[in-house]
Amino acid sequence: MPLANPPAPQITRTRSAVTASNVWRAYGSGEAQVVALRDVSVQFASGAFTAIMGPSGSGKSTLMHCLAGLDTTDRGSVLIGDTEISGLNDKDLTKLRRDKIGFIFQQFNLLPTLTAEENILLPASIAGAKPDPDWVARIIATLDLSERLTHKPTELSGGQQQRVACARALATRPEVVFADEPTGNLDTRSSGEVLRFLRRSVDDFGQTIVMVTHDPSAAAHADRVVFLADGQIVEDLHRPTADSVIDTMRGFENRVPLAGEAR
Amino acid sequence: MLRATLKGMAARKARLILTSLAVVLGSAFIAAALVLTASIRATVDDLSGDSYTGSDVLVQPVEPENRGDRLVRDGVSAQTLDAIEASGDVAEVSTTVTWMINAIGDDGKIVGALAPTMAVNWGDESVERELRDGRAPETDGEVAVSAQFVTDSGLGLGDTVNAYSLATDETGYEIVGVYGYSGGRNSLSGATELAFTTTEAQRLVFGGEDVYTAVAATAVDGVSATELLASLEPAIGAESEALTRQAYVDDLNAENAEVTNVIGYFLLGFGLIAVFVSVFLIANTFSIVIAGRLKEIAMMRAIGASRGQIIRSVLAEASLLGAVASVVGAGIGVAAGAGLTSIVANNLLDTAGTSLAIPWTAPLAALAVGIGVTVLSALVPAVRASKIPPVEAMREAAKADKPIVAVTVTGLIITLVGATGIVLGLNEVFEADRTNLLAAAVGAGVVFVGVALLTAWLSKPLVALLGSVWAWSFAGRLGRLNASRNPRRTAVTAAALMIGVTLVTATATLLTSVKESLAERFETSIQAELFITGPVTSSVPATFDPALMDDIRDADGVAAAVELYYDLAQVDGTEQYVNATSDLQGGLELFGGEVADGSLDGLGEAETAVNESAAEQLGVGIGDTVSATFSRGTEAHEFTVVALLADNEDTDGWYVDPSYAGEFYTPKPTTALVDVADGADVDAVTASVEDILADEPAVSVQNHEEYLAQVTVFFDYAIIAIQLLLALAMIVAVIGVINTLVLSVLERTRELGMLRAIGMTRGQTTRMVTVESVTIALFGALLGIGTGLLLGWAVQQALVSKGVESFAVPTALIAAYFGAAVLVGLVAAIAPAVRASKVNILGAISYQ
Ligand SMILES: Nc1ncnc2c1ncn2[C@@H]1O[C@H](COP(=O)(O)OP(=O)(O)OP(=O)(O)O)[C@@H](O)[C@H]1O
Ligand SMILES: [Mg+2]
Repeated sequence: MPLANPPAPQITRTRSAVTASNVWRAYGSGEAQVVALRDVSVQFASGAFTAIMGPSGSGKSTLMHCLAGLDTTDRGSVLIGDTEISGLNDKDLTKLRRDKIGFIFQQFNLLPTLTAEENILLPASIAGAKPDPDWVARIIATLDLSERLTHKPTELSGGQQQRVACARALATRPEVVFADEPTGNLDTRSSGEVLRFLRRSVDDFGQTIVMVTHDPSAAAHADRVVFLADGQIVEDLHRPTADSVIDTMRGFENRVPLAGEAR
Repeated sequence: MLRATLKGMAARKARLILTSLAVVLGSAFIAAALVLTASIRATVDDLSGDSYTGSDVLVQPVEPENRGDRLVRDGVSAQTLDAIEASGDVAEVSTTVTWMINAIGDDGKIVGALAPTMAVNWGDESVERELRDGRAPETDGEVAVSAQFVTDSGLGLGDTVNAYSLATDETGYEIVGVYGYSGGRNSLSGATELAFTTTEAQRLVFGGEDVYTAVAATAVDGVSATELLASLEPAIGAESEALTRQAYVDDLNAENAEVTNVIGYFLLGFGLIAVFVSVFLIANTFSIVIAGRLKEIAMMRAIGASRGQIIRSVLAEASLLGAVASVVGAGIGVAAGAGLTSIVANNLLDTAGTSLAIPWTAPLAALAVGIGVTVLSALVPAVRASKIPPVEAMREAAKADKPIVAVTVTGLIITLVGATGIVLGLNEVFEADRTNLLAAAVGAGVVFVGVALLTAWLSKPLVALLGSVWAWSFAGRLGRLNASRNPRRTAVTAAALMIGVTLVTATATLLTSVKESLAERFETSIQAELFITGPVTSSVPATFDPALMDDIRDADGVAAAVELYYDLAQVDGTEQYVNATSDLQGGLELFGGEVADGSLDGLGEAETAVNESAAEQLGVGIGDTVSATFSRGTEAHEFTVVALLADNEDTDGWYVDPSYAGEFYTPKPTTALVDVADGADVDAVTASVEDILADEPAVSVQNHEEYLAQVTVFFDYAIIAIQLLLALAMIVAVIGVINTLVLSVLERTRELGMLRAIGMTRGQTTRMVTVESVTIALFGALLGIGTGLLLGWAVQQALVSKGVESFAVPTALIAAYFGAAVLVGLVAAIAPAVRASKVNILGAISYQ
């Protein structure tokens, strides 16, 4: 079983922001059971930009949801910082998501009733907390949203909406930001803007980002790319370029049948 | 297409059930109203059928009352009775002597508040009385009482009961028997009864004359009722008339039908309001459902469905829904009608059994209204749906709100038209009263519709205002924003509550204004501090011994005391209010009345004073002579007018010397006013006057407040009764708000998932939905209260000339309406809020 041993987790000095150990997740039961994650162990270093790639249905979203406390795991443990989330109840999980995690969705998911600025401050408002105004101003400036703050989402372009969503995810300085195909609905230019911002937030602000993507050039913005196939981590690429990502994808696409045989 | 409609309906079960609830409620109300009316009528008819059972012909006095209602009674003479008994066609004769009396209960008060106390003769066989305890009355000092009387009076077998009538002074009777009626009933329609010997009953009812309230005759075998009638008619005296028992029962039924019809109209009115409100609900639901199916409908159009097909599919859905809902509604309504009938019959009418009548109109009307209303309400959304262009299928679903300019302008125009109708009607522009009333009523209805259309436009500022209450909570803020997100939807939902609240507010405002006007006039015009009167509801007006007036005048701290006698007399051939008092000058002062012309000095025995408009009515002035016959009087008296009084509702009428009181309907004074001397202690004076009146249990001493409360008690009842409408409005509003919220929550699943994902707690989600709900409900209440106050004010203004001079706002009730709105909001929020807080985050955010 060549793929049974995933690449050994990197033991680095850097503190890890998210740690998954031996995570299992299956949907349904009996004949119809689908194992979305099988024994996944992975660490995401603090202050790093990691991309997750893999074929459709390979479990990328499932992994992200499990890491973010949106989905429950069947087995294994997930740590956000030092907090073990597997045993938390809904209330504590909600609080954890509110205070420690930022989200960027493919569909932007802004509240149409609120202005761009209010959307950015939404997580803080929900928490009843006062966000750091300097920090928020800096993000808004970086994202070039100053002119758009009073606009409602319906008055913004897709790229602008996604930039607002990025600002919202970062406004509370979360431990980690999870982004599920954040550029999936955007054109090349807007994608570039969003990706450059994510990159900068890691470089300049020390933010931790985990991003699911299908786009090799998007993955090339990351520090590291983790490849999933059939619910398992099959490759772990550091300092990726668009070419190396494409190569790796080709490589394991050929190996996928092997994984199927291994079952 | 039909199959697609059916499949679509199956997929939206929850929504359809909610929508249909409104239809069910409306048609149930209509069916219930019709069944209840018909059943009560049938039950009451049975009750009338109980009277004079077995007899064939009734003989009654031609004019049982001399004049007006409640005046001295006439009866069938003894000669007529002899003639009936002598007839060869008559097998059996029973005599009835009955009328209202006052009996004093164990607590010293007059028995019975609203139901009368009746005196009857025990020998009367026209009603089946079943002795339960003791025996029949044998001497004039004995009485048997109905079981209901025992309950109401607190007296029992062996006790002495004091009773009096218009014709007699208070007399003590020993209770020797207690009886019930056929079927184990304690009373007939709740009235209490005392059965005396025939002579004593005649003394109480007719002042001792040997006459009868009615004589019932049964024919010998072989003689029909009509034949008996024909043979008796020539025999009876001129004072009496004969009719068959059937004719008597028919008359009685026709009289009862008038009363039951009023109840029926009242209930039908409620039903129609429920239906009117459900129009808003149904239209709203269909609009929301169609908004949610925008893409689907556009797709259907893209693949070739015609506009007509789209309209038909929506209308088919509406008719199906309407049919199912109104069948359920009709069923519930018939059952509720039947249940209500037995409650009414057992508790109010005290009948032995109830007759259930289900007129075929009941289910039919319920079905017609249910289906008709549903289809009509769905028409606008259906046409709108058909206008969805096929390209809509390709576009993003989220869009800005449609402009509401057209609706707002239409609403303004309609409101103005309705207001004009009200103004025209209230100012009596039209010739016929009916037309005026109709104009005002239709105008009010039109104003509702107009304001309902304006609600969308009003919703932004008002919802923002109401929502500011929750500004401290972020979840509350989001809820408020959601409430103003779709002004049309919020508006229509709120309109459902608005209508009910408008009606109750308008009515309560008007009644409160009437009450306030009365109180104000009373406060400004009446000088006396204390009033001596009996309960307004007693069968025989409560009176007291005029000799006591001297004691009262002599009491410490009494500045003046004036007693009043009252009669409805014939003055120059017309019916007029006549008063008598030993101190007219003092009475005028205490009532704030004034002499306009002439002088009151020593109103002699043959002199009278009268208010100006009454004198004008008879065309008499000072120095003219009028002739008056009093209720009990047998001959006319001549009076010269010596003074004219300024018109004043409290003093209007003719004044004569109290020496005529013996011929009055009530020969003793019914009211007295006591003016407490300046500086005297009102409580102490009250106590000493009460002491003087200790032996007069029928009357009590009241201060301004107590007296006013007694006079205005009917308004209080009316205000309470009208609040029932509020309850109905609340139920409909709850359904409407639930409906809107559930659909909104469904629509916003994705948004809710996002909020939960980024850290909104379940509690916050619940709060958000609850705030939205309460805001919508408060908005409805606010509009309703505003419109209601306006309508109430308009009517009050129109009635200023009729004496409703003050405009009073029922503040406590209005506060209660806001409370009710909050309750509606809270109750309606439960299910949607739970649903929202349990939204599956993953499902929601990955849902396309
Ligand atoms: N709620 C669910 N119920 C049943 N099966 C599910 C559920 N969610 C995911 N799956 C299954 O789990 C597997 C992994 O799904 P996941 O959404 O994680 O894939 P993905 O890598 O994100 O794919 P894509 O690139 O298409 O988004 C798939 O086979 C999917 O069918
Ligand atoms: Mg995915």
